[in-house]
Amino acid sequence: MAALRVSDLYKRFGALDVLRGISLSAQERDVIAIMGASGSGKSTLLRCINLLDIPDAGEVQVAGELIHMTFDRRGQRGPADRRQVDRIRTRLGMVFQRFNLWSHLTVLQNIIEAPIHVLGVPRRQAIAHAEHLLHKVGLDDKRDTYPAHLSGGQEQRAAIARALAMEPEVMLFDEPTSALDPELVGEVLKVIDALAEEGRTMLIVTHEIGFARAVSSRTVFLHEGTIVEEGPSRQVLDHPRSDRLKRFLSNSPGGGRATSHLLGGDDLR
Amino acid sequence: MDLAIVWESLPRLLEGTVLTLEITGLSLLAGFCLAVPVAMARLSPRRMLRVPAYGYMLYFRGTPLLVQLFLVYYGSGQFQPFLDQVGVWFLFREAYFCAVLTLTLNTAAYTAEILRGAMLAVPRGEVEAARSLGMSGLLLYRRIILPKAFRLSLPAYTNEAVFLLQATSLVSIITLLDLTGVARIIVAQSFEPYKLYVTAGLIYLVITYTFVLVSRRLERRLSAHLRGQPAGGIGNVVGR
Repeated sequence: MAALRVSDLYKRFGALDVLRGISLSAQERDVIAIMGASGSGKSTLLRCINLLDIPDAGEVQVAGELIHMTFDRRGQRGPADRRQVDRIRTRLGMVFQRFNLWSHLTVLQNIIEAPIHVLGVPRRQAIAHAEHLLHKVGLDDKRDTYPAHLSGGQEQRAAIARALAMEPEVMLFDEPTSALDPELVGEVLKVIDALAEEGRTMLIVTHEIGFARAVSSRTVFLHEGTIVEEGPSRQVLDHPRSDRLKRFLSNSPGGGRATSHLLGGDDLR
Repeated sequence: MDLAIVWESLPRLLEGTVLTLEITGLSLLAGFCLAVPVAMARLSPRRMLRVPAYGYMLYFRGTPLLVQLFLVYYGSGQFQPFLDQVGVWFLFREAYFCAVLTLTLNTAAYTAEILRGAMLAVPRGEVEAARSLGMSGLLLYRRIILPKAFRLSLPAYTNEAVFLLQATSLVSIITLLDLTGVARIIVAQSFEPYKLYVTAGLIYLVITYTFVLVSRRLERRLSAHLRGQPAGGIGNVVGR
């Protein structure tokens, strides 16, 4: 059974068709890189999976459970059961481009908030788990710091810890390093790489070609709302077949090798 | 200048001040409690909630407080049989109750508008993050949106509290002996309007600035998470 299955997803914003029939499935332990030029629908795809954007058509299944959709009186499509959506969202850990930490809470409070108030985990247990996660992302000493006092890389690592605290079955990364200064990109990629090593199921929207090659098992290349190429990352990225992907790869600095060294070696895998 | 009349009147003026503070405090407290659900209803996607909240806010922000006060105090008399029947006439008979009720409804409408703006100003990304972690509905409001909106609305809310304090002077017109009411009576007896109204004004001033100082303290505490960051004009809450 697929950990995540998306079938025939369509999404339109006004006159713009952002997604035009996307189907994708992730088996457990899959790490899928989603690449594409800006405007190709990568982020929207991710946001449609946990229904932050409502797809106009198509289905999403998480671990075999279908998210039920319905139409309201005005013909607007929406979830049939909001509680189901809330429950499924707890199983999908989302990491945003702009971190979106709650600025009025400390790092620790950010991490324990949802486990305590959504999952009902006892406070003491939530804190112990949070401290373990803080150690994992290398922020032991930032536990009582407010987000405004962190660097972008630290904020993103805290946001990853916050998502992990729910013990999600699938992690969704929406351009996790795009808002970071170049020298901070590596520390975040290392954390994500460690999660891949653990065998977590992940979908990563990224521009970091070297990172995708090193960490992801499969790469999906999107163009204008459709999947143009898809397959094992090395094959897709080293031997692109479509002109679109060839052009995309050659336009990227360093031919896509630019970031893999940040992980400590070109041939990490 | 002979200030004897001021000294002599001071105890009575301070008694009036107590009533002023009482009415202000009660109205602010009840008004705030009412404003939170009203603001939430105003932002609800459901028409059933949104439209009544909109109408309520429109009326109380769009008509003079004095008219509202007269409406409740004198207007309720016309409904005496009905109010008697439901057992609340004994409340409407009291000017004190009418004053607090009117001020509560009035400040709640303004506070709801302040809160509405603050809720809309909560960063979208932070709300999305909460949703992505399975929060929705009241939980989302209680844990994320409201705590952030309260912080954002504090400067504007302090202004509202100051306005309300000053607006309480209107209750003297419906026979209540608040600070202004007491001053009016002493003036009528002593023919010393200048000294007495200046004194009353000074007392209002002291209370106003106490409000503002307390609010600044609170704001400093609540913005601890931003300390060390460039502060975008935080701090000045007086004067609008």
